[in-house]
Amino acid sequence: MTIPYNTLVVAAGVAAVGFAAGVVGSLGVLRKRALAGDAAAHATLAGVATAFLVSGRRDLPVLLAGGLASALLSLGGLVLIRRFTKTRDDAATAIVLGVSFGIGIALLSGITARGIPGGGGLEQFLLGHTAALTAADAALLAGVSIAALAAVWLGLKEATLVAFDPAFAAASGWPVAVVDYCLVALVAVMVVVGLPAAGAVLVTALVVIPPVAARLWTDRVGPMLLVSGCIGLVAAVAGVVASGLVPRLATGPMIVLTAAAIFFVSLLFAPRRGWLAKRLGPRFPLTVE
Amino acid sequence: MLFGLSKHPPRQPPPRLEIAILPQMAKASAVRLLRRMVWLAVLLAADSAAAMPPVRAVATTTIVADLVRQVGGERVAVDCLMAAGIDPHSYKATPRDADRLARADLVVSSGLHLEGKLSELLERLGRRVPSVAVADGLPREKLLPVADGVFDPHVWFDAALWSLCPALVAERLATVDPDGAAGYRKRAADYAATLLRLDHELRTRIASVPSDRRVLVTAHDAFRYFGRAYGIEVVGVQGTSTESEAGLSDINRLVDLVVTKRIPALFVETSVSDRNLTALREGARARGHEVALGGRLYSDSLGGPDGSAATLEAALRENVEAIVTGLGGER
Repeated sequence: MTIPYNTLVVAAGVAAVGFAAGVVGSLGVLRKRALAGDAAAHATLAGVATAFLVSGRRDLPVLLAGGLASALLSLGGLVLIRRFTKTRDDAATAIVLGVSFGIGIALLSGITARGIPGGGGLEQFLLGHTAALTAADAALLAGVSIAALAAVWLGLKEATLVAFDPAFAAASGWPVAVVDYCLVALVAVMVVVGLPAAGAVLVTALVVIPPVAARLWTDRVGPMLLVSGCIGLVAAVAGVVASGLVPRLATGPMIVLTAAAIFFVSLLFAPRRGWLAKRLGPRFPLTVE
Repeated sequence: MLFGLSKHPPRQPPPRLEIAILPQMAKASAVRLLRRMVWLAVLLAADSAAAMPPVRAVATTTIVADLVRQVGGERVAVDCLMAAGIDPHSYKATPRDADRLARADLVVSSGLHLEGKLSELLERLGRRVPSVAVADGLPREKLLPVADGVFDPHVWFDAALWSLCPALVAERLATVDPDGAAGYRKRAADYAATLLRLDHELRTRIASVPSDRRVLVTAHDAFRYFGRAYGIEVVGVQGTSTESEAGLSDINRLVDLVVTKRIPALFVETSVSDRNLTALREGARARGHEVALGGRLYSDSLGGPDGSAATLEAALRENVEAIVTGLGGER
């Protein structure tokens, strides 16, 4: 049996996104920036809608550029709230998430209600819709993912240091804030290219669940990035395959459910941290430190 | 003497009236102005009421609006809720829309759940405002079922089936405006005859397409009545409503169909996104079959009021010409 061309295109694009999201997400989770990523994800909708209104076109690169712009803006807003008010981190994130998502939904429903030509189907960015990805779209997603991986490879040492011991990093003269911003921006980029796959509401799962699952399997950063990337890849491809086999099934929820299943399996069977390993106790030391 | 002096009283400076009285005057004149404006408004309203057609109907889609215009003629002012190019499946009502609907003498909707997001509002309105859902009045056995008790709402593509609707609208208009009843019935009968003539014309046009190429691939399943009436197989990438998503399996299935049947053209709809069709063409190209985009079809919305396809009659004709040309029928 040959794999249909469209499935191949979509799977290739989404696999690259899944892997890169897992890797970038690992650093984000280690730096405790998962919620900021979620805020950025919800903010993309406003940018996608604005990009459509401004350009009047539905080309994926244009829409994603808009999404990235609004994601970065929301992160900027988050930084400002933190700096100039006494709002705590979780509250600030909730504010930014709520406001930016509200703007996005308002714009989207306005576009549908006014029936702006070509606006039909923009809601697909809410839950993800990969079936209509063209080869050019998939190449764009894969290209950005590879660029993000390259950025991680270049800045891994700095990112790890800042993630694990920001105080020490600052004391030894590292530009902690700059590394931090770069890291969060990178998470925002991954969230944006993950949009077609999982949609604004669910895309965070792609940068959060694989790292958390991977963390159960290993204590070292390098392997964690790899494992997390692989989990992301498997989840993403599984989502595409599921929506390819079952008619009229959105891709995003399938990706999230697969990732969650892998997380659950990890919870049970991971060496040392898993439920089974704990039950069995130290009689079977499964890890070699 | 004092009195002597009073003969020639010293000239006092004239009181500076403007300044002293200005506040009161301003208030008074403002009140007067307001009163005048109110009168003017009342007069204008009375005047325009005299000149306005007796029935103000609000229609949901451009297609229904056209139907009401054809039947109502001069006696009915038709206000159309959705502008041209709007997808009625996903249209959500704004508060202003609810207001327009509530003030109407008659609300005309397409029915059969075409206006998916408006159904509830229309149902609630139906208890207070005279209303009619056109396709709901069609005989059930002539409708195409989608699921149990759910029917495909795109009935206007079968001109013969749609020709039953003018009478339905005429009867409803007659209850709202009994004085115009005879006129409505006459116009409805004329329009039904026009639609039947159109039906015959469309049938002959489609028949000119070689029978093995009579496959119509569109973005969503809007053309099933059209296919049944004019003998052409129809396939939509999305389901009957644009609200249901096309999955990869749908795309793959259609690529197969398009390649094996060597279908020459796909058709974009004016009110639906063409992204799925773009992916479909790419899939077919990868298997060595070039599919053309055979022009835009009017599906759930007519063209703009100034365009060439402002009426259903014109839109159906344009659709059929695009299909005949795209699938290689006779010019």
